[in-house]
Amino acid sequence: MRPHLIRTAARTAKLPSLSIPADVPLRSVRRAALRGATATELWVGAHLQKFDAPQGLEQLAIRAQRFTPRVSLAPPDGLLLEVAGSLHLFGGVTGLQREIIEECQRLQARPLLAFAPTPLAALTAARAGQPLIITDLTQLVSQLAPLPLSALRWPEETRVRLARAGVRTIGAVLRLPRAGFARRFGAAQLAMLDALTGRTPDVRAAFKAPVHFRRRHELDCELSDHGQLLASLAPLFDALGAFLTTHQCAVVELDCRFEHRQAPPTRCVLTLASPCTDGRQLAALFAERLNALQLPEPVRTCELRADQLTPQLPSSRGLWQPGEQGGEAGEESGGLIDRLRARLGPDAVHGLALRAEHRPENAWAATQPPALRSRHAVASRATHAMEEAALPARPLWILPSPQPLAAQDGLPRHRGALQLMSEPERIETGWWDGGEIARDYYTALDAQGVRLWVFRERTEPHRWFLHGVFG
Amino acid sequence: MVVGDPKIARLLEHPALWRGRSAATRAGLPSGFAALDEHLPDKGWPRTGLIEILVSRFGSGELTVLMPALAALTAAAAARWCVWVAPPLVPFAPALASRGVVLDRIAVVGGARHPLDHPTKSRSPLQMTFSALQEARFRGDPGMWAFEQALGSGVCDAVLGWVRQPKPRDIRRLQLAAERGRTLGVLFRPRRAARESSAAMLRLSVEPLSAGMRLTILKGRTARRDALDLPWPGR
Repeated sequence: MRPHLIRTAARTAKLPSLSIPADVPLRSVRRAALRGATATELWVGAHLQKFDAPQGLEQLAIRAQRFTPRVSLAPPDGLLLEVAGSLHLFGGVTGLQREIIEECQRLQARPLLAFAPTPLAALTAARAGQPLIITDLTQLVSQLAPLPLSALRWPEETRVRLARAGVRTIGAVLRLPRAGFARRFGAAQLAMLDALTGRTPDVRAAFKAPVHFRRRHELDCELSDHGQLLASLAPLFDALGAFLTTHQCAVVELDCRFEHRQAPPTRCVLTLASPCTDGRQLAALFAERLNALQLPEPVRTCELRADQLTPQLPSSRGLWQPGEQGGEAGEESGGLIDRLRARLGPDAVHGLALRAEHRPENAWAATQPPALRSRHAVASRATHAMEEAALPARPLWILPSPQPLAAQDGLPRHRGALQLMSEPERIETGWWDGGEIARDYYTALDAQGVRLWVFRERTEPHRWFLHGVFG
Repeated sequence: MVVGDPKIARLLEHPALWRGRSAATRAGLPSGFAALDEHLPDKGWPRTGLIEILVSRFGSGELTVLMPALAALTAAAAARWCVWVAPPLVPFAPALASRGVVLDRIAVVGGARHPLDHPTKSRSPLQMTFSALQEARFRGDPGMWAFEQALGSGVCDAVLGWVRQPKPRDIRRLQLAAERGRTLGVLFRPRRAARESSAAMLRLSVEPLSAGMRLTILKGRTARRDALDLPWPGR
């Protein structure tokens, strides 16, 4: 067995295209390579019993990357490792097996390992509870044949139909005529069988550990001045900018920790309206945020963290400046929102939206500041607004909550007697959410001629309220 | 200079060449009220610069008079944003929508839901850098700061601001920011501010009438200083 394995490792070295964690565009290259060299891969399928935390699987994948760079996830409870190139280093199949199991047990996972030349075969054997070690493609089918069909995790309905036909093992299903099988049970299942036996290449997306940026800076002396603190943070922001450029990522949230001599560390979190890739822009925004921060003690160490990164390709910019020659306001408008939020607080900026509600308090909603939409979307909104025009007159301003008004002879007063200008508009009910109302709304003119929107409760004691100003 | 010279005529066609005469006939933003357009210097609101609207009482019709222009600005194909800085009450979305304003283009800063408080800080002036000292006066009033940022950002078509007691210097800064960002800034102030000087390019006062509103142009490149009565837009 050993000479064979050494030979395969040597062949892998000769065929570099095989060791590339292939994504879809490489498929044709890989297929050509596979035709020439069979069984150059050796996969470990790990079935993790009673283990269904997706976070845990990723942690395990990160740890498993010390065995091989080619690790793939098979959620919810499977892990695949291509180990042909690593066997020699870890002392062959047995040594590798022992080390992987130890690594899994450190994360409280109980793995069952199987080795096979195709990833699906390794995973299927592990899921069937058979710790098979198949290193030769020619033995693959005969070794897999006795395994039960349930390990393939096909849909229940397919499995029941196959069982009724007397097909209960993988060997039996592989003996079925291909054309008839594809017609009765679907081409997807046939493709899975081909991947299982290595007839077609099974391309697995390689797991990539999520990247994050963390950088600490020990200050030469303790600082309490915001300006000096910002200056000492500048290299960190430069490093962050370079990191984002090389990784083609953008940050949405930036976390900065200031450590003091005695007080607990101060956190300063900057949340952005739109992903940002520019280190200098981030530094400018962070300066605004820092200005509003109170430090309990001088700072000894600062640490900059960007844990949530989003992939971002630099987009091409428009030829025209915003507002010039029909150029639209681009992503720069996110910069204004970010600047306002950084200084005034994350809730200080909001957008407006309509809600399909008859109660005035609920007919609008504060939203996130509007992302810029395409012209088409704007046009559709404009027609929507035209439909809304059928409503009776509404005031441009509304009070956050209705303000009680004094009344005299059944008429409301607000800095003098109010003169009712309109027929009442009745707005009622809201029993479904407890916000029941029963009101008669009027347009009223006060002594100076300001138009107000007032209402009279229909229930006792018929109080008057001010609810809006026509403005 | 010979006006009929073909060389000069060709030179004058060059788009980069600015001529004094063209400034006099800049296309204004139609206000939606024909009588008001006749009164305003550019046959409409200016598209760039700061204007002041002085009112004796909040709700005199100062917003109603702007509504058709805001609707046109926000519904335009290449519309930029319309930012409301520190409005004293909540802008009522259904009313804005029914007047044709596209809500997607509106952002509200501060306002009744999140009043812009003075930021808590206890830094002594000695600790600040020079640029920080320069900005410190603006920092005292976040509304003024936000107003200037929005005006100068170049991503807004219009910025409406309700700022408490702006100084003449602040108003000059706002006017410069509006020119920098090619934005129309509207500053709402009480009527008594008419006594103060202002760098705004257009100032007008709005008073409520029983059936409409009375507009008076206090400052602007126009000779018409007589009052204009507009009826309340009927519906």
